[in-house]
Parts: sequence; C-alpha cells; structure tokens
Amino acid sequence: MKKIGLIAMTLSLIPLLFGTPVGAKKEVNFFLALYDGLRPEYYQDLNRAFNEANPDIDLKVIPVDWNALHDKLVVAIAGGRPPDLSVIGTRWLLEFLDIGVVEPIEKHLSKELIDNIEPGAMEARINNVLYALPVAAGPRFLYYRSDIFKEHGIAGPPDTFEEMLTYAQKINDPPNFYGVGMSGKKYVELTEFAYYLLGNDGYFFEINPDGSYGKCRVNDEAGVGALTFMNDLVNKYKVTQSGVTAYTRDEVQDLFVSGKLGTILIGAYTDVILKQRGVTFKWDYGLIPRFAGKDRHPLMITDSIMMFEASKNKEAAAKFLEFFYQDEWRLGFDKHVGFPPVLKSVGKMPYFQAPIYKVMVNSMSGAKGWPLIPQWAECNDIIWDAIGATFLGQKTPKEALDEAAARIDEIREE
Amino acid sequence: MDKNLASRPKVKVAFWTTESTLAYLLLLPAIAVLIAFMLYPIVYVFLTSLYKTNRIGNLVEFIETDNFKTLFSRREFWEVTIRSVIWTVLAVSAKTLVGLTIALLLNVDFKGRKLARTLVILPWASSVPISAMLWQWTYNYDFGLLNYTLKITGLWKHPPHWLGYPLSAFVANLYVDIWIGIPFMALVFLAGLQSVPPNLYEAAEADGASLWQKFYHITLPLLKPVLLIATLLSCLWTFNDFNVIYILTRGGPVNSTDILITFIYKYAFSFLKFGPAAAMAVVAFAILLILSLLYAWFYFKSERY
Repeated sequence: MKKIGLIAMTLSLIPLLFGTPVGAKKEVNFFLALYDGLRPEYYQDLNRAFNEANPDIDLKVIPVDWNALHDKLVVAIAGGRPPDLSVIGTRWLLEFLDIGVVEPIEKHLSKELIDNIEPGAMEARINNVLYALPVAAGPRFLYYRSDIFKEHGIAGPPDTFEEMLTYAQKINDPPNFYGVGMSGKKYVELTEFAYYLLGNDGYFFEINPDGSYGKCRVNDEAGVGALTFMNDLVNKYKVTQSGVTAYTRDEVQDLFVSGKLGTILIGAYTDVILKQRGVTFKWDYGLIPRFAGKDRHPLMITDSIMMFEASKNKEAAAKFLEFFYQDEWRLGFDKHVGFPPVLKSVGKMPYFQAPIYKVMVNSMSGAKGWPLIPQWAECNDIIWDAIGATFLGQKTPKEALDEAAARIDEIREE
Repeated sequence: MDKNLASRPKVKVAFWTTESTLAYLLLLPAIAVLIAFMLYPIVYVFLTSLYKTNRIGNLVEFIETDNFKTLFSRREFWEVTIRSVIWTVLAVSAKTLVGLTIALLLNVDFKGRKLARTLVILPWASSVPISAMLWQWTYNYDFGLLNYTLKITGLWKHPPHWLGYPLSAFVANLYVDIWIGIPFMALVFLAGLQSVPPNLYEAAEADGASLWQKFYHITLPLLKPVLLIATLLSCLWTFNDFNVIYILTRGGPVNSTDILITFIYKYAFSFLKFGPAAAMAVVAFAILLILSLLYAWFYFKSERY
C-alpha cells in the first residue's frame, strides 16, 4: 500500500517536470527593437495592457538594442529557442527564409488587419505571400541648423550633394562646429554610404531581367563617385567632424543634438529625438540630396515583425499582433519612433497631417530599399570595411570598392 | 591470496557505504556536467570544423579539412591570429609587471594598506562589460573624460580620437584589458609573497644582501610557481577576451582590433558561417593547448629541481 502511494505520488510529479500543466498560461516572447525615441513606459504599458486583457496568455516584451538584434536572433535560432515574435530589419528576412525559420504571418492575421496596412510598407511580401508584418517604414531626411544657415545667408536645405558641400564649407568652424556629420564606424546598417550611392543613381547589385540580383556593382562609376565624394568631405575639404571612423550613426546624431553639426543625413526619427531632448537651437529638415543631374532615389528602410516557425503559441502570438495593431497602440508607437504610420487608419489621424509627415510621404517616391539577399549581413560588413579603409587612407575609393565587389561576388557564389 | 582473508565470511554492505564507490557516486554529477558542458561542445566544435554547415550550424556534409584550407588561404586570418598573439603577450606582460609591483608595495607594512588593497581590487570587482562601457564613454572624443582632462590640464591640446584609428584603438583596448586584469595578478602575487618565510629575508639582510639581491634570489624563486600559474591563467583569459574589444570597437576600425575570439564571433553569429568559425576555434584551442603544455612542462620541471 505504501509502495502504491509512493508510485502514485511520483507519477503525479512527472507532468510538473516534463509537461505543461493544464490551465497554464500560453507564453509569448516578443523581441522588440529599441527604436530611438521609444520610451520604456510605452512597451511596458503595452505588455501590461495585453496581459490584463488576455489572462490566459503571458506576453513578455523583451527590448533589444538594434545593433545587437540580428546577432541575438541568430544565437537564439541556433540554440533552438527563438522568440515567438521579433522585430526584424526586413532585409534579414531572406536570410531567415533561407534558414527555414519563418512562419508566414499572413495566415494568422485577420483580413481587416492586412487590408489596413499601407501597400508600400509591405516589403516582406514575397511571391504574393506576406511573411512578416510591417512595423515601421523609415524614410530618411537631411536635418540642418536653420539658424546657422540663416546667419550665413543660406535660404534652405541643399538640393544636391554639391550644394551641401558648398554650404558646409561656409558654416564649417572646426573644432567647435562642423559642416556635415559623417559616420565611419561599423554599424548594423550601411545607411551613410547608401544615401550617396543611391543619390548618384547607383545600387549595390545589378538587377537581372527577371528581377533577381546579379553581380555586385558598388565599384562602378556611381559607387566610386559616391565614395570619392564622401572621402573628399572627410579628408580633402575637411567639413566633417574629425576622426569619422570613431563615430557610429548614433554618435553622429548626438553631435547634431549637442549643437556641433550643421547638417546630418539620418532617419526621420531624429525629429522626435530633437523634441524629446528639448534642444534650444533652430533646425529644419529636407529631402536627402542627390548628385547634380541625377534623379533622387532616397533610401527606404522597412522593419517588420516576424513570427517564428518554432513558436508553440502562434495563435496567442497573432492575438497579440491584433492587439498591438489597434489604432490606439499604433498611434503611440508611431509618435514615439517618428516614422510615418504603416496603418492606413492611423495615417488619417490629425496628428499625421503635420507637414513633416507630408514630406515623409513625398520622400518615398523613387525610393529604393536594401537588397533582399541571404548574405546581406556579410556584404554589409565588407562594404563598411571598404569605406573605413578609404577614410583612413589605406586604399583609394576605387581599390577599396573593387576589392569589396570581388569579395561579395565570391561570397554569393559560395 | 591470503587464506585467512579468503576464508573470511563476506559481509554484505550497501554499495554507497564503501568509500571508493561513494566517491565515484558523488563525483558523478560533476562528471555529467563536465561531459555535457565541456566535452560535448569541444567535440562538437571539432566535428563542425570538418563539416559544411547550414546557416544555423547543423552539419550538412563532411568536407575534411576544407574549412581550414580556406581559412589558411585568407590573409585576414593570419593578421588576426598574429594580432591575438601580440595582444596576449603585451597585455599579460604589462599585467604581470604592474601586478607584481603593486603586490610588492602592498606587502610592505604602511598606514592605509587595507584601504589600498581594497582600492586595487575595484576594477576586478566590477563587471567587465560595465567597465568596458565606462571606458567607451571615457574615450569619447567630444564628451569623454579622458580628452577633457588632457585638454584642460594642457597635457595634450589636441588629443586623438582614441577609438577612431587602428593603432590608438588597439592601444586603447589593450589599456582597458590591462586595467581590468591587474587586480587579479596583484592579489595572487600578494598571496604568494605572504607565503615567503620572513626569516629568509632576515638571514639575507644579516649577510648584507641588497634589496635587488633579496628580490632576485629569494622572492622571485619562491614566487615562481605562483607566477607561472597566474600568467598562464592570464594568457588564457586575455587571448579569449571578447568583452572589451566587442564593446569598445567591435574589432574596428577596419578589423584593426579584431582578435581570434571576436573574429570567430563575427563569422559565426553575424555571417552564419559556423564551419570556418569552428575551424578558427580549433586553431585557438590548439594555440592555447600548446601554451598550457609548455607551462605545465616548465612548472613540473622547476618543481623537480
């Protein structure tokens, strides 16, 4: 009898060790990228509100620094424990599809939600399947010190990069004040070079007739011209802050916010940062310049929320997305991060009728995005090295980009 | 066999009551942990280095030594390996020299010695990533404490961008690694110094030995085992010091501060190339194993004599 009792007790403990007890909450982990301007109060409130409305689900919003997000996801995937949902740069989607960890999100979401998304933001729609839900669509702007420009008799933002250089030379007063900000320290994105490359009618890869990517073309005339111009700003005209290879994008933004830069090319979110930090100087914004005689092709960056195939609680995860994509929460998110809304209904709200959002919408015309290839992270790294080597005077722009293009083609053939 | 012993009636005892069996039993959890968390990963890394992997590190195809051949054909791999060795030699030498000097000073009886000992341990007591982040801010050209101090004291009117150029970035990383590592060395050496019998010094003084002679003929030989162990540990840690470099420069500018460990991380977790990353890990393992064997040989040789 004693033995039977002991066995019964042992058996009753087994589910505690290996199984989920009946009635346990469904756990949903969500990696949320820490956008500039996104305050902890926002995502903590979102987390709390969802859990209160859904007592059967335990949502955990896990904030992750943007610069660490890609590597953190890879580690989680390789370790067999990816989150249920994560914000991703949409350009990483191909890499994750290649690994086979993506759950097409479309089939888990309501038709109302899908229909409410701006079509232009759906970069993650591949072969007519929406793999990831757009979370932010970020146009890029030129911010400038309108007070300093005015002092020097400059009417408005430069239309071309050549004008930007002329203006920068007028206002440059090192080491107290620099004409243009430039980041040369490796970052998760290659935005700085992309502004100049796209503005010179260049791109990273040749595009084949079927729309696929061909050979790397960063070393063509447009690419070399773009990098030569950047290098001239740094080393010939010396209108940037010194030691550009020590500055990431965020550190250049800090310089602008601290009042030491005349011009900066950065995401639209800087508007929110400048307001949040209560800067006392006057500033304004304009479209990213282009080179004289070239069409304007600004950089368009989208981020998306991806559901992982390994998620055990897809239904609960989708429920959270439906909750998060209600106008109330999306309005708060878009206001914080300073991007134009990805939901049509939010775009119609009075807040988004402000002039800056109109400019954002206009800036999207002719915009180009990142190449969607699985090896982009490594290509990104190689081009960064080429830029750094040029700034440090180790290589000419042509040498650096020739080597980079050859290496990128080699990697893609592997 | 002893007849008496054989004829003795066997006493049945519970297996956990014999000393040796119990010892093995108690060791089992530790052995299991070692196999699961040390042996298995090491074996798996060796295997991975011989395989082509997919982008999440699963083994796909046996390719013999192709990962090594590709690696050895790349100039940047050799640059990084040589830099790792230079980094380790410089950092460990500096930590040993400064650590020993501090230990010798702290071994002298003076007022406030306890406070000095507490202060010395501070860099080691704080977390390495936090220390590295503090130094990142300190090195900042525009707002950092270092350049601010150099400028206002007039010591250096135009200080450099410490993390912006290859040489200064390497030196800046090296300094932080040394700064973090000195307290450990100082404490270990101090413990070693306190085990030196004072009567040896008294006898030497009676014979008229100078300070240097006492150090060279008494302190150094008696401190040798401690020196060997401490420098070996420091070599292993320094060679694999990921935190400082990753936080300060991420291997930049243009890979000029990458060492093997940061390069392995980049290949594995940024580029998803687990095969070459594993091959590099095997190379790092081999270098450290050779170093450890050399140390062991040296240690036991000196013990023998």
